[in-house]
Amino acid sequence: MSDSDRDDPGENERYEAFVKLFAHHEAELRRFVGSFLPRWGDVDEVVQRAAIVMWRKFDQFDPETSFIKWAQVVTRFEALAYRRKMARDRLVFREDVLELMAQEAGEEFNERDRQRVALDTCLLGMPEKQRSFVMLAYTPGVNVKEMAEESGSTAAAFYMRLKRLRRQLMKCIESKTLNPEEAA
Amino acid sequence: MSDLHFEDLSEQEQEWIDALLDGTLDEKSFAELQEQMLQRPELRRVVRRSMALQHDLQEQAEADADHAMDPWLAEEMSPKNVVSLSSGFGAHLPLAIAAGVAFLLGLAIMHFGRPEPVVNQVAAPVEAKPEAEAKGFAVVEKLFDAEWNDEGDARREGDNLGDEVLRLKSGVAEIQFYSGATMMVQGPAEIALVSAWEASCREGVVRMRVPPAARGFKLHGPDTEFIDLGTEFGLEVREGRAHVEVIDGEISFRHRNGQERIVKKGAAWGLPGDGGETPETIGRVSFPDIDNFNSLARGRQRTDFERWVNHRNSFARDERVIAYYTFDRPQKSALLASIAEPRNTELDGAVVLAETAAGRWPGMKQALEFRRPGARVRVRIPGEFSAFTFAAWVRVDSLDRRYNALFMGDGYENGEPHWQIRDDGKLMLSIMVDDQKRHPRYPNKSRYHHVYYSPPIWELSQSGQWMHLVSVYDPKNKRVSHHVDGKRVSEEAIDPLFHVETLRIGNGEIGNWGEPFRETPWFAIRNLNGRIDELAILNAAMSDEEVRKLYEQSRSER
Repeated sequence: MSDSDRDDPGENERYEAFVKLFAHHEAELRRFVGSFLPRWGDVDEVVQRAAIVMWRKFDQFDPETSFIKWAQVVTRFEALAYRRKMARDRLVFREDVLELMAQEAGEEFNERDRQRVALDTCLLGMPEKQRSFVMLAYTPGVNVKEMAEESGSTAAAFYMRLKRLRRQLMKCIESKTLNPEEAA
Repeated sequence: MSDLHFEDLSEQEQEWIDALLDGTLDEKSFAELQEQMLQRPELRRVVRRSMALQHDLQEQAEADADHAMDPWLAEEMSPKNVVSLSSGFGAHLPLAIAAGVAFLLGLAIMHFGRPEPVVNQVAAPVEAKPEAEAKGFAVVEKLFDAEWNDEGDARREGDNLGDEVLRLKSGVAEIQFYSGATMMVQGPAEIALVSAWEASCREGVVRMRVPPAARGFKLHGPDTEFIDLGTEFGLEVREGRAHVEVIDGEISFRHRNGQERIVKKGAAWGLPGDGGETPETIGRVSFPDIDNFNSLARGRQRTDFERWVNHRNSFARDERVIAYYTFDRPQKSALLASIAEPRNTELDGAVVLAETAAGRWPGMKQALEFRRPGARVRVRIPGEFSAFTFAAWVRVDSLDRRYNALFMGDGYENGEPHWQIRDDGKLMLSIMVDDQKRHPRYPNKSRYHHVYYSPPIWELSQSGQWMHLVSVYDPKNKRVSHHVDGKRVSEEAIDPLFHVETLRIGNGEIGNWGEPFRETPWFAIRNLNGRIDELAILNAAMSDEEVRKLYEQSRSER
């Protein structure tokens, strides 16, 4: 046994506290990032980087304050840094747009929560075939072209159908989250 | 709110966002979209909403791919379906994902012709809302002939208990602490609850049963602290004097700052308020006994059950009763008989996916549970009626849906009823006025009907308790009322605008809703997460007094 900080009981406690907080808020953070970075892999990457930074700076976090607010600031900064590296990539927002989006997304935590709950209900309300199709389209690793051929269709038709169903879901979600009092 | 909806955007903007999500947006359009976004906060908001939807769908699909590996689901896939799938692309994928895709493909491309179970898994709502909390650290497990000092002190079985004082006038209450300790209290008694691990007996007789997991439970007498070191002891407090007996295991106590004393099974001590502590003989006090109490409770239940059987037999002959379901079915019968006299098998319901469960007298009476999204009982009740009374015994486990069905007319057509509970606990009864017209007050939102709400009648702490729910639609007296456990909780006049004279049911469902509106299919799933063990529909408006009697004759101690 050495006297490295791994053996420091205070350090262990601190680490546990961090992991607990982070695990508790990870889904929320991912949803936050997901609302301004279009690609899934980017979301993973940014949240992971942010987690490392948060752990490194954890002693600056005041436990009397909101963890998610603090985490959101760190994550926003990481997202911008990540953007600079990926700048040559297509479909990454320019810096001023991303900055605005990230800032405003931070004020929409509750809306994101409601939206996710509404999605569950909206998916349940879809006919089974449509729902399965949407889930299939979003399953990681699915090759759309081959899958379209498999079902005797074309990739274009596949995207058309996906677009239609996604718009339908969006409409359903908006009807639930933007006008919460609907008629029975 | 002046929130912009996706479809309020221009067609071009909608196309841009779709292409952004699909990763097919070209550079020039992307630049234009961003230019617009910089100018317009409401557009940014829609873009975030769209991207969040994309993200949620990805997460959901990934979770489903994991679910597809669930052995339960694996059984659902017939080998034929799996084998006939693509051998091409699956090979490139990690095994778990490949299996998930195969499963989903199976659904998307082939017709399984199988009802609900898959729905359960594919889109099972993941834990979502902020965590619900029920306050308290103990619960009233059972009451036997319990009378309370006054109305405000009264507790019911199943009530949650927190930091509070119980004043039992007579009878026995069984309190279950969340630590695992059980306390039987015999009135007259005054007990202060402190935590799941601590309580204080100011007056009365209690018997503690403490399993190993709750060892260390502390009970305070007037001048004494008792710590249970295992199993069982009794304490009597009368006018400041305590008497303690160890029935099994051992305890320790400290009286008036004296030294700690360990007391073993079979020993008893007298602990007067003015100091001193003297050994006493056991058996001087008769402590309430759980086993005894249980057998008495069973006897009481049997009496209640028999009273209900008598009531049921005469109620079935009441000529106002249109249909009467008591949910006791022969083994595995898919039919739910209406026992209203004269018997009419046309009214028998078909049980779909609902599961047989214990009713309000376990072991004596059955219920149906509508936990699964597809669970329902389908019925057909022809005829025209001049009033409605819906009366049911319902055990709500949780209100998972926006609307949780009790009894619903299929198409919700003219004169047809919807009886349900909203997720905020309000009981709702509505009748369609004119299904061809828009609502006169909310033409954009609703068809021409009116919902009569009660105040909230259910909250999470009532989960698992049986309740008697009655709603009355009385066109003659132009009044709609809701009743819970025999008491009227609300009454509303029927506005002439919504007055319906001719009532119908036709096809309908118990515990779910079969035929959603075409335009809003997402409201379709309204299964009640809970049980029903009795439902009567009357072609009449029961009076408040009749409803009270109905409750009295059919209630159980529980």
